[in-house]
Amino acid sequence: MINNIETPSINNSYDIAIIGAGPAGMSAAITATKAGARVVVLDDKPRSGGQIYRNVDASPLAKPTVLGADYLKGSEITAAFKRCSAEHISSVNVWHAGDNGELLFSLEGETQRLTARQIIVATGAMERPFPIPGWHLPGVMSAGSAQVMLKSDGLVRDGAVFAGTGPLLYLIVAQYLRLGVKVKALVDTTPKQNYLSSMSEITGAMSAPRMLIKGLGLMNEIRKSDTKVYRFAEGLEIQGEEACKGLSFSISGSKHEIVTEHVFLHQGVIPNLNMTQALGLKHTWCEQQLCWTPETDNWGQSSQGVIAVAGDSSGIVGAESAAAMGRICALRQLVNIGLITEQQADHEAADDLRFMRKQQHFRRFIDRLYRPLDQHRKPTNDQTVVCRCEERTVKDLKQGFALGGREPNQLKSQTRCGMGPCQGRMCGHTVSELLAEWRNEPVADVGYYRLRSPMRLVTLQELSRFTNLTPVSTVDRASSGTSDSDVEANKEQELAQ
Amino acid sequence: MTTHKSEVLVIGGGIQGSSTAYHLAKRGVSVRVLEKDTVSRHASGVNAGGVRLLGRNLAEVELSKTAMERWQQLDDELDADTGFRARSLINIAADETDMETLRSREQQMHELGYFHEVMLDQHELRERLPHVAQHCIGGVVSEQDGYAIPFHSTQAFRIAAERIGAIFCEGEQVQSIRKVGDSWLVATETQKYQAEHLVNCAGAWADLISVMIGDNVPMSYSAPMLMITARMPHFATPVVGAVSRPLSFKQFENGTVLIGGGAKGFADRANNTTRLDYSLLASGAHHAIEFFPIMKTACINRMWSGLEAYMPDNLPVIGKSIRADKAYHAFAFSAHGFQLGPVIGEVLADLITEGESRFDLEPFRVNRYERKVL
Repeated sequence: MINNIETPSINNSYDIAIIGAGPAGMSAAITATKAGARVVVLDDKPRSGGQIYRNVDASPLAKPTVLGADYLKGSEITAAFKRCSAEHISSVNVWHAGDNGELLFSLEGETQRLTARQIIVATGAMERPFPIPGWHLPGVMSAGSAQVMLKSDGLVRDGAVFAGTGPLLYLIVAQYLRLGVKVKALVDTTPKQNYLSSMSEITGAMSAPRMLIKGLGLMNEIRKSDTKVYRFAEGLEIQGEEACKGLSFSISGSKHEIVTEHVFLHQGVIPNLNMTQALGLKHTWCEQQLCWTPETDNWGQSSQGVIAVAGDSSGIVGAESAAAMGRICALRQLVNIGLITEQQADHEAADDLRFMRKQQHFRRFIDRLYRPLDQHRKPTNDQTVVCRCEERTVKDLKQGFALGGREPNQLKSQTRCGMGPCQGRMCGHTVSELLAEWRNEPVADVGYYRLRSPMRLVTLQELSRFTNLTPVSTVDRASSGTSDSDVEANKEQELAQ
Repeated sequence: MTTHKSEVLVIGGGIQGSSTAYHLAKRGVSVRVLEKDTVSRHASGVNAGGVRLLGRNLAEVELSKTAMERWQQLDDELDADTGFRARSLINIAADETDMETLRSREQQMHELGYFHEVMLDQHELRERLPHVAQHCIGGVVSEQDGYAIPFHSTQAFRIAAERIGAIFCEGEQVQSIRKVGDSWLVATETQKYQAEHLVNCAGAWADLISVMIGDNVPMSYSAPMLMITARMPHFATPVVGAVSRPLSFKQFENGTVLIGGGAKGFADRANNTTRLDYSLLASGAHHAIEFFPIMKTACINRMWSGLEAYMPDNLPVIGKSIRADKAYHAFAFSAHGFQLGPVIGEVLADLITEGESRFDLEPFRVNRYERKVL
């Protein structure tokens, strides 16, 4: 009796699941819900905004204005996000995402499972590892964590040294100064030649004059203060045995040492790769940004049909481009699930696509100017720790390489480098680049770790309690045409026209 | 194009292939190993590392006992660190039915003259495993058992074999096998190989090699799943299993706990990959907590699975080819071949150089399923 068989419902599934509530994730959710999609947004922070707009509408600071106008502007998008109909599940770690649309995450001590027809990965960026001697010692942190402390808890470190290169480094120093916090020194590792080589991209940078002015303004602000600034520093080393006692470096051959117990390091950001890698998406080595990036088309579509990647997790683009990419990804997926037509998507994405093309020129300039030094990415000192979780040094890796660990996974099995709880976040890029150097081959041929879920630690108890999560609003759209076969029908109609 | 010649060609660079190469090279036989990926890339490199004699199928006991003797000396023999630790293995009885199972197994083993499995009462169990749950009433122990680090063990055989002349060729996937005259001719995408003897140790791909040799075999393959925790305080010295529950774990010296139990994910052999079944892993987590409440708060750090070959009776294929002369098989160890590695190399070297083995290989013959309806 075929007639009695119920049509299987997809109402207990989401249309689009978005991982990450930064600019990319939030704007994707706003766009997708506007078109009537059932959207869930999962984020590991208590409030939306991502790293860049962390706590923008709940700042612990008396005068959040010190954080800058660009930061405060974030409250516009977080407000729009709150108004949209997306379900926002905050403070959860998505520890598994599958190319079949399955997501697993821990919530209140249990594992929750949900399914979605499409997934947008918008997990943002992380700071590039800075593997120099002593970088693992207590007292050494990243400039990003200085900013997290400031934005979340209003905490600062007096008399710290900031070292490295990149806009975020200057921004946090400026923020410290505005708050009246003493900064002992800024040790800038941007090499002289970068200023020269980036000039070839200066015309491109002119396409985004506001960004350029903002950057120069930060530097001026720092110079005007009484903060000691060292430029063209190289050969950075943290001094101390058990904890940080100082920072040493050289400038055109002469040695310097600053006594301090707090060093904040930073040399740019790279995509947060663990989810896109564990999903099995194709990745390529980006020589311009010196990092692995998932392969995507202009619409953020990855090598796997149902997965799109938006924002910095697709390659560093910055907050404004991330928001544009979020909208573009959402439009593509709305076409995929049949809620809008391709023409609608083309029309609505046109401005954003144009904006992103323009931004690419500026990005080339920035990437050239703040390209980190080889010696600060590919450690040569035998004692330098590469894998912080398992405490594996350059020497350990060289031994593993000699024993046949020629690619990252073999080296991992051989030495345990990358086996710890961070899942290779902190050593993956270093290992790829070191192996490429030792093999004298391109990084692209060396590859990256084969990653697996869980992307975050999950307790046995959490895993053992397993429940399914379904959408709160079960909009019945069975009659209004949302099935994948309707998409085909739409396409046929378009062809007929 | 030159043809690479050797007396023996081994297909598959897992622990069986590497051990075979080692034992042949030790006897002065020229041997070459063809590995389609990298040595110990699949099951041999990513298995749970259990070195287990306890609870072996009766057909395997002799092989397994000899292998266990080899493991005790293996680091010296290979001049390497396989990570082997004899920590004993205990299978836990959760109820009276489990104890009954153990008692009849004990009687059977004693009648055959085997005394390496010793039953434990509740008190003895708790003495050896202070953190075991209250409801567990006994168990059985094998003292010699333990674990090793699989990737290191397989690499140890490979490096020792290379030291004495064996050649390992990685990234060489066999495309065709022909017997011309007295020679085996094997072609990969870019190379040609010729040998008098051919050994099939191709693991989850062994049925395909079998067919090229001329033996049909009802082998299947799957993806047994494992998970490992972040470091936790020491709480268990022996390796732990259960009589009737899918539970198996071991705590390494660095404090991490490897949890297995036989739950299978999904194998995608054509793409060299596997997919995990998280709901089954969830029930594995449930069993671990049920037997060891201390593991409630253990943090899972990694989950993975490897591609492993199985026979319908869960016994391996070991021995000469039926259809072809001077071809040999050792595959489909059905998720318990790692411990046998050291002895399987000896068996195959015996078959090749002596024409026979001192072990009874009848239960493992490749054609044991012919004419049977499965």
